[in-house]
Amino acid sequence: MVTVTINVNGEKRTASVPPETTLLRLLRDDFNLTGSKLGCDVGDCGACTVIVDGKAVNSCLMLAAQADGRDVLTIEGLATMDRLHPIQKAFEKYASLQCGFCGPGVIMSAKALLDENPDPTVQEIRDALGGNLCRCTGYVKMIEAIQDAARILRDEPVEINR
Amino acid sequence: MKRRGRGMACMWYPIGFTVSANPSAAVVKIDEDGTATLLTGTVETGQGSLTVLAQIVAQELGIATDDVQVVSADTDATPMDTGAIASRTTYVTGNAARLAAEKAKEILFEVAAPMLGVKADQLEAKDHKIVVKGYPQRNVHIGDVASHARVVMGQPPIGSASFNPATVPLDPETGQGKPFGTYVYATQIAEVDVDDETGEVEVIRIVASHDCGTPINPMLVEGQVEGGISMGVGFALEEEILFDSQGRQINPNLTNYIIPTSLDMPEVEVDIVDNYDPTGPFGAKGVGEPTLVPTAAAIVNAIYNAVGVRITSLPATAEKVFAAIQAKRDAQPKQITA
Repeated sequence: MVTVTINVNGEKRTASVPPETTLLRLLRDDFNLTGSKLGCDVGDCGACTVIVDGKAVNSCLMLAAQADGRDVLTIEGLATMDRLHPIQKAFEKYASLQCGFCGPGVIMSAKALLDENPDPTVQEIRDALGGNLCRCTGYVKMIEAIQDAARILRDEPVEINR
Repeated sequence: MKRRGRGMACMWYPIGFTVSANPSAAVVKIDEDGTATLLTGTVETGQGSLTVLAQIVAQELGIATDDVQVVSADTDATPMDTGAIASRTTYVTGNAARLAAEKAKEILFEVAAPMLGVKADQLEAKDHKIVVKGYPQRNVHIGDVASHARVVMGQPPIGSASFNPATVPLDPETGQGKPFGTYVYATQIAEVDVDDETGEVEVIRIVASHDCGTPINPMLVEGQVEGGISMGVGFALEEEILFDSQGRQINPNLTNYIIPTSLDMPEVEVDIVDNYDPTGPFGAKGVGEPTLVPTAAAIVNAIYNAVGVRITSLPATAEKVFAAIQAKRDAQPKQITA
């Protein structure tokens, strides 16, 4: 067993897990953060995307122990009780998700992109979503929503994330 | 070098099952706070069908969509539904929901008529009120009518209805009949770049023009068309189930069964052809499956337009397109240059 302590969504949490445990399993099974989805479990679909130290990663391809001592942001860390994150709000406004299974991963990929590049081109958004498979939407309304969220985030001086 | 081409494909598609029964049933009850509850067996899978059904009931009752609570997909509590298949939910379940709402509304009209001193057929439901047609100031709030119906008249405003598309079986001799209640139509135009040295096809743009009757929720119609086009792009260029000699699929995962990513998706322009089908709820038909029917055909026509080769099996992979370009070159008489 290895003891892993991560700073997840601003809160320090510790668990003792078998060494082969992935970050995704740690988040879902030990920390009960089930927003990140287990899709393919081999890094093809992107449904498990979370942000580790500012970078979007497939949490199914990262061992929990590799995340020890790092900052992890999951979909649960975006909204507050009374307010959706502007990216989530834009996804709702544009009906960007249909079945929704890819949603948490897509939104985390978009968040990592906009944190790094507040004014991305359509091609840059497509590149950022390249690892997130969606079977329902054709990505069209996701791209529109991310452009809209980028505009809103640029105009907002206050960081509203937790 | 990359060669640009354009191709077009048209389609029609039927809504519901071929002749065989595919009914939907619904229950609508109007509550004393002026809201309504719809019971339906159909399943929401993200396409937005419950939103559309709520809009249909709200329109019939003259209330807001948010005032319709939908209880779905639980046959303990809701009527059985044939299913979210055959592009039938808006048309078939939508008709059942509208008819159930209409029956509940008729009870409200019967109850409101003496309250307003007119006959029931002089009433309409709008803006959360039962209103005398042409005299909007003569009205009662729908919740008050619902309360009066139950408490005073002993007649709670509940309607139930079912709908099964009207069809005529096909004559085995002549093949004539009317196998479906209604049909939808679409044309898609694809613009592609084909690299004539590698056979690689890139879909640049697709313009999709769809008739779905009245688009009850145009944003959801767009979502269906865009999603269908992504599946059509995969069908045209990437997706193929491969089997070994024992009939086992050899590419059963996302590493080797390739579906379109955001980088494969063309620019999509959706054009909704506003239409009215008198047999549909408020003129609506359907839009699910039809959205991907013409996509692959438009793309392979565009490939032909770009490089002059006909691809007759899908997917049109780079290897296949390149082989066809090679074969065409080989078939042409060699030009002897000086």
